[in-house]
Amino acid sequence: MSFIGKPLAASIVAATLAAGISGAAAQSPQRGGVLNSTLWPEPPGIVIGINLNAPTLLPSSKMFEGLLTYDFRMAPQPMLAESWEVSPDGLTYTFKLRRNATWHDGKPFTADDVVFSVGEFIPATHARSKPTFERVKASAPDPHTVVMRLSEPYAPLIRSFDALSAPMVPAHVYRGTDFRANPANQSPVGTGPFKFKEWRKGEYIHLVRNDAYWQAGRPYLDAIYYRFIPDSASRALALESGQVQLATQTDIEFVDVARLGKLPNLKVTTQGWEWNSTISWIEMNIRRKPFDDPRFRRAVLHALDREFIRTNLFFGLAKVPTGPIHSSSPYYDADVPRYPYDPAKAAALLDEMGLKPGPDGVRARVKLMGLPYGELWNRLSEYIRQSLGKVGVAVTLEATDVAGWGNRFANWDYDMTTTFLSTLSDPALGVARTYITANQRKGVLFTNTSGYSNPRVDELFAKAAGTSDDAQRKAMYSEMQKIVAGEAAIAWLVEIDWPTIHDARLRDAVVNAFGPNDNFAGAWLAK
Amino acid sequence: MTFRQGFAHNRGALAGLAVLIGVVVLAAAAPVLFPFDPWDSRGAPLLPPGGAFAFGTDMLGRDVIAGIFHGARVSLFIGVVSTLFAVALGVVIGAVSGYFGGAVDDVLMRFTELFQTVPSFVLAVLLVAILTPGLASIVLAIAVVTWPPVARLARSEFLTLRHREFVEAAVLSGVSTPRIILVELLPNALTPIVIMASLMVATAILTESALSFLGLGDPNHISWGYMIGAARAVFRQAWWLSVFPGLAIFLTVLAINLVGEGLTDALNPHLRRRGATP
Amino acid sequence: MRFLTFLLAWAVKAAAIVLTIVVLNFCLIRLAPGDVATVLAGESGAADPEFLARTRAEFGLDKPLAAQLLTYVGNVLTLDLGVSYRTRRPVADMVLERLPATLMLTGAAFVFALLVGPALGVLAAIRARRPADTAITVLALLFYAMPIFWVGLILILVFSVTLGWLPPFGMRSIIPPVGDVARALDVPRHLVLPTLTLGLFYVAIYARLTRGAMLETAGLDFVKTARAKGLPEWRVVGAHVFRCAMLPIITFAGLQAGHLVGGAIVAETVFAWPGIGRLAFDALLQRDYNLLLAVFLASAVAVVLINFATDLLLRIADPRIGAGR
Repeated sequence: MSFIGKPLAASIVAATLAAGISGAAAQSPQRGGVLNSTLWPEPPGIVIGINLNAPTLLPSSKMFEGLLTYDFRMAPQPMLAESWEVSPDGLTYTFKLRRNATWHDGKPFTADDVVFSVGEFIPATHARSKPTFERVKASAPDPHTVVMRLSEPYAPLIRSFDALSAPMVPAHVYRGTDFRANPANQSPVGTGPFKFKEWRKGEYIHLVRNDAYWQAGRPYLDAIYYRFIPDSASRALALESGQVQLATQTDIEFVDVARLGKLPNLKVTTQGWEWNSTISWIEMNIRRKPFDDPRFRRAVLHALDREFIRTNLFFGLAKVPTGPIHSSSPYYDADVPRYPYDPAKAAALLDEMGLKPGPDGVRARVKLMGLPYGELWNRLSEYIRQSLGKVGVAVTLEATDVAGWGNRFANWDYDMTTTFLSTLSDPALGVARTYITANQRKGVLFTNTSGYSNPRVDELFAKAAGTSDDAQRKAMYSEMQKIVAGEAAIAWLVEIDWPTIHDARLRDAVVNAFGPNDNFAGAWLAK
Repeated sequence: MTFRQGFAHNRGALAGLAVLIGVVVLAAAAPVLFPFDPWDSRGAPLLPPGGAFAFGTDMLGRDVIAGIFHGARVSLFIGVVSTLFAVALGVVIGAVSGYFGGAVDDVLMRFTELFQTVPSFVLAVLLVAILTPGLASIVLAIAVVTWPPVARLARSEFLTLRHREFVEAAVLSGVSTPRIILVELLPNALTPIVIMASLMVATAILTESALSFLGLGDPNHISWGYMIGAARAVFRQAWWLSVFPGLAIFLTVLAINLVGEGLTDALNPHLRRRGATP
Repeated sequence: MRFLTFLLAWAVKAAAIVLTIVVLNFCLIRLAPGDVATVLAGESGAADPEFLARTRAEFGLDKPLAAQLLTYVGNVLTLDLGVSYRTRRPVADMVLERLPATLMLTGAAFVFALLVGPALGVLAAIRARRPADTAITVLALLFYAMPIFWVGLILILVFSVTLGWLPPFGMRSIIPPVGDVARALDVPRHLVLPTLTLGLFYVAIYARLTRGAMLETAGLDFVKTARAKGLPEWRVVGAHVFRCAMLPIITFAGLQAGHLVGGAIVAETVFAWPGIGRLAFDALLQRDYNLLLAVFLASAVAVVLINFATDLLLRIADPRIGAGR
C-alpha cells in the first residue's frame, strides 16, 4: 500500500521552510496592496467575546488586540502592554501600557479600558476566559499602569492575555450598556492595525488600514477583505487562481492542501496554530458498558491504525498523539503507555473482558455519533467503523447535524463520538476541562462529557494550576499523563496540524503562535 | 395489439428494460461479485480507473465499482419502497376522496393541495434532517412529498368509475363500501396508477441521490448520491469518483423512464395515439 | 364580478395555505433535536450553563411550545419574522437580501427552459419521426434522467476546470474585473452554468410536453379546418397548434414552481450561489429556526403567487377554464 501523504508531508515541510517566519528576510516590507482571505462560515458577529466562533476570530483579531501576544513557543511578547512584571509569589501582575495607542474612534487607550475589559466585559461575555478573569482583581494606579491581583497563584494566567483570550475593548463605548446589544458590535472599535469598513452579508467583510496605528509605519496592507466562499472546492480554486491569497484551518480540504502546496504560486505552513493545539479523539461514554472497562478503550486504540488516519485522512497534516497533552506543549511527556496498531492485541483484550465473538463474529454492538463537520469527519467515522468491525466490534454510525450532535454530546446521550478540541496554551485551561471530575456538567459542551473520573488526576490538575514553579508543574502533569494514558480515558486519534495556505507574495503573515489570527500589522504583499 | 406487442413495439422501452434488468441483476449479484464490505479499504487511495480497480479507488482506497454495485441495492430499494408508500397513501386518499365526493373530497383535496404547494424537495430535506438521516427517514420523506399526484390521479379515476353501472349495481346489492373500493374499483383504476408509479421510482432515486449529495444520506448504507457527495472535495483530482456513480444514477433513471413510457404506450391505448403522425 | 369572486377565492385559499404551512413548519422544526444554543456553544469551543440559558431566554426558547407558536404566528401576521438566532439580524432582511440572487437564478433558468424547451418541442413535432425529432427526444430523455447536482459538477468539470471558459462558483468575481464591459458581463458569466444546470431538466420536460401536446392538437378538428382553409403551414402551427399546446405547459410551469425552489437549493449548493436555497440549507444545519421559517414562508408565498399567476394566465389564454369550473 502506498501512502500519498508522505510526499505531501515532505512538500509541506519544504514549503514551511521556504515561507515560514523568516522566509522573506531577503526583501524589506513594502507598503500597499489588498489582501483577500477566505472566511467560512460567515461569522455571526465580529467582536471577540460577544462571539467566540472560529470565523469570528480571524477578522476580529485584526481590529482588537490583547495586552500580550505569544511566540511560537507560547512565550509572552509585548503588545498593548510594553512591559510587565509578575511578583515572586505569583499573586500580582503589573502591566505598563503603550502611551500612543488609540481607539479607532480617536480616543486614547488607557488603563481604565484594561480594567473594564478584564473586570467587566470578559467575565460577562467571554465564556472561555470568564473562569480565568473572575479570579483577577484589576486596578489602575495611573492611566498607563494596570495591576492585577490574585488571591492564590494561577499559573495559566500569564498565557491568557492574547487578543483571542482577552481582547481589549473600549470602556467609553461599552461601559454601562447592554454589551450584546451595543451598536458597536456591528461596527467594532478596537486598537488594531485594521479598522472596520463594511460587512456585505453573504459576500465579504472589508477592513481598512488604521492610519493612526500605534506602531509607526504599520500596517503595510491597505485593506483586507474576508470573502465568504461556502464551498471548499471553490475556495481552493480561488487560491489557485490568485483571487484570494490566504486560507487556513478547515477552509481547504486536507486532500487539496497537498495539491495546492505543490503549486508555484502558493505556500503551505502548519505553523501559527500553536495557541490552539488541537487534538482529535474518540470520546467513549464511560457511564455505559462496555466503555466503562479500560480494557475496552485500550482495545479501541489498538484496533485503529492511527498512522493510516494521519496519512490518508489528514494527508500528513497531523501527528499521532500519545495522551492528553499536545506534543508542542512544554508540559508534554512522551514516556507514557502507548497503543500501537495491533488488532490481535485488541482482540485479546476483548477476549480477556469476556467479549467473545458470536456466531456472526460480533463481540459487541456500539454506536458512533460522528462529528458532523464535513467530509473529513465522515470519512473518519467510516474508517473507525471498518477498523473496529475487524476486531468484532460492530459499529453503527449515527448521522446528526451540528445542533443535534452538540445537544446529545453535552447531555451524555451517546456511545462513542468523534470530536476535536483545542488544548489551548496551558493544560490548566485546555486539558483539565476534559478529565477532571468537577467538570462533569451535564448539558454543557467541552466539559468532562465522557464521565472519566480519577481522584489522583483531579488532585494533580488542581495542584498544578495553583503552582508557580514550572518544574513542579511539569512533574505533576507528567504523572497525570501516565495515569490518563494508561487508563485510555479517551482514544486520542491525531494532533491536527492546521494548515495555512497563502499566496507566495504574502509575506510575514505567520509570525507567532496565532498565525492567521495575529493582527497582521507586519504582513505585506510583494509586488 | 396485446400488451406484450405494444411494449415490444417500443424499442426504447425494450432497451430500458434490458438496462433495468441488468441493474437489478448486478445489484443482486453484488455480494457475489464483490464479496466484501464496500466500505473497506482495498488498495491505495485515489487510484485512477483501470488496473486492479476498474473504476478506481476513492480517498480511503475503497473500490468504486464495488460501491456502485452495492449502492445499486440502496438506490433501488429506496426507489421502490418509497414509491410503494407514496402510492398506498395517495391511493387511499384519492380513493376516499373520489368515492365519497362532497365535503370529504373537498377537505382531502385541500389537504393534497397544501402538500403540493410546499416546495417538495425543501420539505424532504427538512424531514430527513429532523428525523435524522437514515433509510427509514429518507423513505418516509420521499413518500410524504410524492403522494399528492397519485391522490389526484386516483381521485379522478374513482370519480369516473364511481358512477359506472357495475358500481351502482354493487352499491344497490348491498356490497360494503370498502369491498366496493377494493374489489370493484381499484383493479379498474390501477393501470394509470401503475404507470405513474413506475415513473415515480425514477424520481425517488433522483431525490435520494440529491439528499445524499447534500449529506443527508444514511451513513451506514453506501449509495450513489453519497459517493458523489463524498467525492466532491476531490472531484478535480479524481473525476472518476463523481462520474461513475453519476452515470449509474443516470442510466438507471433513464431506463426506468423508458420502461415507464413503454408501459404507457402498451397499457394506455388512448395515449398511444399521441405518437401518430398528423 | 366573476373575476372579483375569483380573486377573493384565491386570496382566502392563499391565506389558508400559507398559514397552515407556517404552523406545520413550526411544529416540524421544533421536533428536531438540538437547538441554536448548543450550536453557538459548539462553535465557540466553550460553553457554560449560564450562556446556554441566556441564549435560550434571549430567543424565547425557554417558553412552552404553544406560547412560542402563538408568538410566532402573531408576529408573522404583523410581518415581523423575528431575528436570526445566529446573526441576530431580522430574518426578513436576510431573506430579502438573498432573494434577488435566487430570483435571478430561478428566473433565468425558467426563461431559458421556457424559450428553449417549447422551441425544441415544436421543432420535434414538425419533424416528427425524423432525425431531428429523434435527436431532440433522446436529448430530452437524457437531461430528464440526470441528477441536477451531477449536471452541475460535470459542467464545472468541462467548462471551468478543463476549458477555463466560465467561472465555477459564486455570483461575481472576488475582485471586480477591469473594464466596463467585463464588469457588466461579470454576473451574467457567473450565471451561465447554474442556469444551465437548473434549466436543462425543465428544457427536457417542456420539450416533451410541447411535442406531445402539439401532436395531439394537430389531430384536432379546428386544425384540420384551418389547414383545409388553405392557411400556410407556419400559421397553422404558430397560431393554432402552438397556442393550444401552450396550455399544458403553462399549467405545468405553475405546478413546477415549488420544484424549482428545491432545485435551487441543490444548484446553489453546487455553485456557491448566494441565494435563499443555500441560506435555507445552512440555516437547517445550524438550526436557525426563525431564519428557516422565513425561508419556507417566502418560498411558499412565492409558490402561491406563481400558482395564482398561472391561473390568471390560463383564464386569459383559455376562457373555457373560468366558465367550466
